[in-house]
Amino acid sequence: MDNWVIALIKVVFIWTWTLLIATLMTWVERRGSAMMQDRLGPNRAGPFGLFQPLADGIKLFTKEDIIPEKAHKILFSLGPILFALPAFSAYAVIPFGDKLVVNGKEIILQVADVNVGFLYVVALGAMAVYGIVLGGWGSNNKYSILGGLRSTAQLISYEVPFGLSLLAVVLVYGTFSLREISLAQQGTFLGFLPNWGIFKQPLGFILFIVTAYAEANRVPFDLPEAESEIVAGYHTEYGSMRLGLYLFGEYVNMYTLAALMVTLYFGAWHLPYIDMSKFLGPVSYGIASFLVFFLKTAFFLWLFVWVRWTVPRFRYDQVMGLGWKALIPLALVNLFITALCIQLTV
Amino acid sequence: MDIYFIIFAIMALGGALFTITAKDALPSALGLLTVFIALSALYLHLHAPLIAIFQVTIYAGAILVLVVFVIMLLMTPDEKLEAAQKNMAYRIMGAVLGAYLTALTVVGVKGISELISANELPEGFGHPGLLGDLFFKKYLLHFEMASVLLLVALIAGIYLAKKRI
Repeated sequence: MDNWVIALIKVVFIWTWTLLIATLMTWVERRGSAMMQDRLGPNRAGPFGLFQPLADGIKLFTKEDIIPEKAHKILFSLGPILFALPAFSAYAVIPFGDKLVVNGKEIILQVADVNVGFLYVVALGAMAVYGIVLGGWGSNNKYSILGGLRSTAQLISYEVPFGLSLLAVVLVYGTFSLREISLAQQGTFLGFLPNWGIFKQPLGFILFIVTAYAEANRVPFDLPEAESEIVAGYHTEYGSMRLGLYLFGEYVNMYTLAALMVTLYFGAWHLPYIDMSKFLGPVSYGIASFLVFFLKTAFFLWLFVWVRWTVPRFRYDQVMGLGWKALIPLALVNLFITALCIQLTV
Repeated sequence: MDIYFIIFAIMALGGALFTITAKDALPSALGLLTVFIALSALYLHLHAPLIAIFQVTIYAGAILVLVVFVIMLLMTPDEKLEAAQKNMAYRIMGAVLGAYLTALTVVGVKGISELISANELPEGFGHPGLLGDLFFKKYLLHFEMASVLLLVALIAGIYLAKKRI
């Protein structure tokens, strides 16, 4: 019974937290872009415009819910749901801290530590494309279909290097469980570097971050939206909260991918050179590990925004060329070198 | 019969039926997606999480996405599938293939049920490590044969796509 309550609290906590971060990210994105373009951005609602996401939410909820007359009604309404649902459930296997000891009971700060951990994230990431495809097809709009089409092609091209770069991480740590991978990153590597995945998989990390941007449909890979060529692509016909779900799902995806980057390549909740568990109490250690993990994640979330307002969009054929001719061969080479190193050192 | 099996078996069969009777191409592909997800749930029920995840990642996440890609590339939302569904040659071919697959399944299930009696699951059943162990030790030849088969398909694909080699 006790375990059920703890599990429920964890689920509710991480769900609310993810939603809160995604909401805040819409504000960070707008203020961040304004900063980079020497503008002010939304600064009227609340201090620093922090209540802007709330105002946006109220606006989206109270708008008239329009379904275009020629649209396929069922597909049109299913689209945003199928897009948001996998995004919201993907975080379940990613840790958000080490552990919290309350009354002698150890609570692991992760919803589910399953032994097929990040394959689950990959599977759900692939599911998100159906939401985009349904939206594009159901809208009965040329631009929307083009957006959906681009999304499927992009997913197939980038799923392969994404999976291959993750596979190299599995080779290094010998497990699929994200918690075990996090635990293995404590201490130092070669005597002076923090024992983080990035130092063991530098090429793997570059491949992972590039494909992650493509998976999240972010600039420079936001071809399915591409507002300047195909008028926001798959969500051209959407309005009110249906559009809200699409936009929101994108930020939730970003948060999941950023957390995955931290877990696999940046030592999860470990600080470099310092072992927090040695001089912090059990409860404060749990909270500190959560904060460290979140601060690292926040940096990668900021990186998503940073890149979006710095780099121009690729042309469609360039995206395909990069995926098939550069990333996949590089990922295979990376996998081969990793396997060779492990074979030679073990 | 447990309720979990019945729910997902019905879901899989219903999805399959919808796949072959749907009038529009994309909903038909979604029917197939339902089948894949229901099958994946059944694998989970059989204590095989790795197979379940692969079912979703590879079939629903890659192969079906390719099918959807082709549908979106070649068809429009107004196009119906009726012409293809009414084609008698397709129907006969489908019936022959279906009968063949059913026979194969019956023979296979009968063979397996004679081989295996109900017993306890071994320690760590369905764990990725254990599966890898079997692949690279006991069934290495089968595994390599499958790899060669895929390699042949890959080379054939490149040959067909390239104008001059």
